Amino acid sequence: MDFQNRNNTANKFVCPSDRQLALRAKLRAGWSSSKTSEPLRPEEQEAIISVIRRNEEIEIAERQRVGRLVERVEKIKQHAVERGPNCCRLCGDTFGLLRPHRIICEDCRQSVCTKCSVDINIRYHTSERTREIWLCRICSETREMWKKSGAWFFKGLPRYDTPRSASATPTPTATPGGMASMAGDTRAVHSCHGTPTRPARVKKLTIRVNDSSSSSGPSEPEDELDGGAGSGFGGGARGSAVGRLQREDSFRLRAYGSIRSFIDGGERKLSNSFFFGRQQSHRPSECPDYDSISLTNGSAVAQLRRESSSLRRGSVSSSWSISESSGSGNSGSQSQSQSQSQSQYTQAQQQHCRDPLLGWLEIAISYRENFHSLDCTMVRARDLPAMDASGLTDPYCKLNIITPEALTKYTRWQRTKTVHKTRNPEFNETLQFVGVEPEELGNSLLYVALFDDDKYGHDFLGAAKVCLSTVHSTSQYRISVPLGVEDQYSSAAEMAQEWPNGKILISLCYNTKRRALVVNVKQCINLMAMDNNGSSDPFVKLQLKPDAHKNKKHKTSVKWRTLNPIYNEEFYFEASPHDLNKEMLIVTVWDKDLGKSNDFLGSLQLGAQSKGERLQQWHDCIRLPDHFHEKWHCLAPDNPAH
Amino acid sequence: MASGGDPKWQKDAADQNFDYMFKLLIIGNSSVGKTSFLFRYADDSFTSAFVSTVGIDFKVKTVFRHDKRVKLQIWDTAGQERYRTITTAYYRGAMGFILMYDVTNEDSFNSVQDWVTQIKTYSWDNAQVILVGNKCDMEDQRVISFERGRQLADQLGVEFFETSAKENVNVKAVFERLVDIICDKMSESLDADPTLVGGAQKGQRLTDQPQGTPNANCNC
Repeated sequence: MDFQNRNNTANKFVCPSDRQLALRAKLRAGWSSSKTSEPLRPEEQEAIISVIRRNEEIEIAERQRVGRLVERVEKIKQHAVERGPNCCRLCGDTFGLLRPHRIICEDCRQSVCTKCSVDINIRYHTSERTREIWLCRICSETREMWKKSGAWFFKGLPRYDTPRSASATPTPTATPGGMASMAGDTRAVHSCHGTPTRPARVKKLTIRVNDSSSSSGPSEPEDELDGGAGSGFGGGARGSAVGRLQREDSFRLRAYGSIRSFIDGGERKLSNSFFFGRQQSHRPSECPDYDSISLTNGSAVAQLRRESSSLRRGSVSSSWSISESSGSGNSGSQSQSQSQSQSQYTQAQQQHCRDPLLGWLEIAISYRENFHSLDCTMVRARDLPAMDASGLTDPYCKLNIITPEALTKYTRWQRTKTVHKTRNPEFNETLQFVGVEPEELGNSLLYVALFDDDKYGHDFLGAAKVCLSTVHSTSQYRISVPLGVEDQYSSAAEMAQEWPNGKILISLCYNTKRRALVVNVKQCINLMAMDNNGSSDPFVKLQLKPDAHKNKKHKTSVKWRTLNPIYNEEFYFEASPHDLNKEMLIVTVWDKDLGKSNDFLGSLQLGAQSKGERLQQWHDCIRLPDHFHEKWHCLAPDNPAH
Repeated sequence: MASGGDPKWQKDAADQNFDYMFKLLIIGNSSVGKTSFLFRYADDSFTSAFVSTVGIDFKVKTVFRHDKRVKLQIWDTAGQERYRTITTAYYRGAMGFILMYDVTNEDSFNSVQDWVTQIKTYSWDNAQVILVGNKCDMEDQRVISFERGRQLADQLGVEFFETSAKENVNVKAVFERLVDIICDKMSESLDADPTLVGGAQKGQRLTDQPQGTPNANCNC
């Protein structure tokens, strides 16, 4: 074994970069290729090889350790349900009023619930400031994996062996660490002659990355899938495997986004060869393999095409996170802060970090001094939370002005028209507040709450406050503000809605033993008075529609002379959980009249076609069987039978 | 010199109960005391006899720092030039460098700049370096003042220690400091750099998207 024989370099394809050459030229005691020195003696070689062997043991243990770390993250990813933008990506819980808050993960920009996320305090070395950010469990584990595996340093995961199949492992070959690659085996002794492995990545790979990254951010997982499917199912089965893996894959796609985001342009080739590495042998520094990569690339193209739809889906769902970082959001929170004290400002900022983003609202405000009137134009809203099963919303805005005493100035809330079936409504409606004094502008806030319009209750969508101190009488003030969670004012706005028909408390449970939906009618309040005595004799009728199992209709007992009856009566509707996704529970409340037809008091529909909280209760009932899910609902004035 | 049979080493090396693994490299001219320095730290032993390191050697030590167990794989390199091709191969995987000179040896101090150039050439860009002037116990033979060492370290933008492997001065401090610097760098690179975590990528994605969509369309 001749250590100093330069003509025998294993890496003849590897050229030092310009930077390396320039730096090497600077070395006075440099060891350029012209320099020759005596070869290593056999006992020296032996000593070195024994060190390399020892190192090899450590490398193997390290590869297995990293493999375990990777697998741990993979497991968490596999357990994620990934149901949609309105559900926690990990546990599938839907967000809402009485539900967990939505939290946007800092890294992957996906929505998660509070219990599937962690907040970490990050420290800015420059300013000694700390900032609290939220990360979903996947991204926090991914960060942890990056730290523990050393990937943070090498800007890519080092080689690893997955515990499951140590022999035919998808071992990534992008070994960024020279130690790992060079000392991996005794063969490395030869390659010591050449330069260290920095430029070992070939441009072919870089090209691949560029075209895949152009379709959307994280696309390497496609490659990864391809590798996995290739080895797991064989080339022929690939196509069929796609459908099965697509869901998981489109998810990984986003999960790896966080990893990818660590890899800036210069290091991209590394990350790419990491994913490609699965198709190669374990020898990172040997070049002939690159030909085989290009071959597998070719066969991967078809797969990529098929996957492109899921790719786009991924990019669409992440698109609104982009807007979050746009400047308009800052201007919103800043303008708001101007009138408030510093402490409030920081509080608001913190809240901004913590709070879920419920969309954006674009407002134009102008003030006419001679009329003392404030004209607020609701221009449009973007990315509102979806409220029904098809992912749409029927939004409208309610507006009020908040005085410095933190009270609402007007008892009657102004309301825009409803824009139906959209999460990006164009309102273009101007509402006028009269009697606004010029001096009031400096310390008042315009409060806008968005609700989802539905026959059976108006669900809160988001709220925004705009500081009016920046509004001038001369020009129109246009601003785009982020929508935040509900607060005292939005509940006031909600309360201001009139529900003359009263409310009903219903508890739902799917009983898996009896394979039936259990409906517990608990009580009603504020029902309408229908009889001459100023009261009613209410009872509740229940019906499942279209009802695949031909259940009979149920009704509760009659509670005489009351507007707030308490029933606590249970009814069973035979149905499979699958059926329930199509069924609709129709609840009607009637006033019992003897001798003449009963008077209608109110109605409610619960089912998969419901919206907002009603849909949530229905889903919860199916998703978490054998538990009662209780919720108050408003009764609508129209009779569904008509 | 090879410590393969040492039971303590085996225990440390096989120990998988750690959070982070840092690879450190000690470099510097021949006979500045790199091996002694490492033996003092890893085994708390010292011998004045000079045995030139053949190529490379390493020791493993697990330390507890900031509630984290950090496994250090410390590489001791040969200062002699004939082993350079081997030693430089290991620069690539090192997260931290201890660049050592001998305070009684002017040549070793003058070579520091060359070693820095080597680090720049062969290591990863974000590798951390500490400059160490060894043999500070030999005051009577000292030719490089503490001040000169400190000035050079300032120039290079690295931290500086004077140590003695023989008298066990500052040996532990050097390693602890290096671990701290790397830990800082780690949390900085992951947590505090918004461009890494998202910002820059987002913008890119915005512009990238339109290019990607037509592609996908023609392929369908």
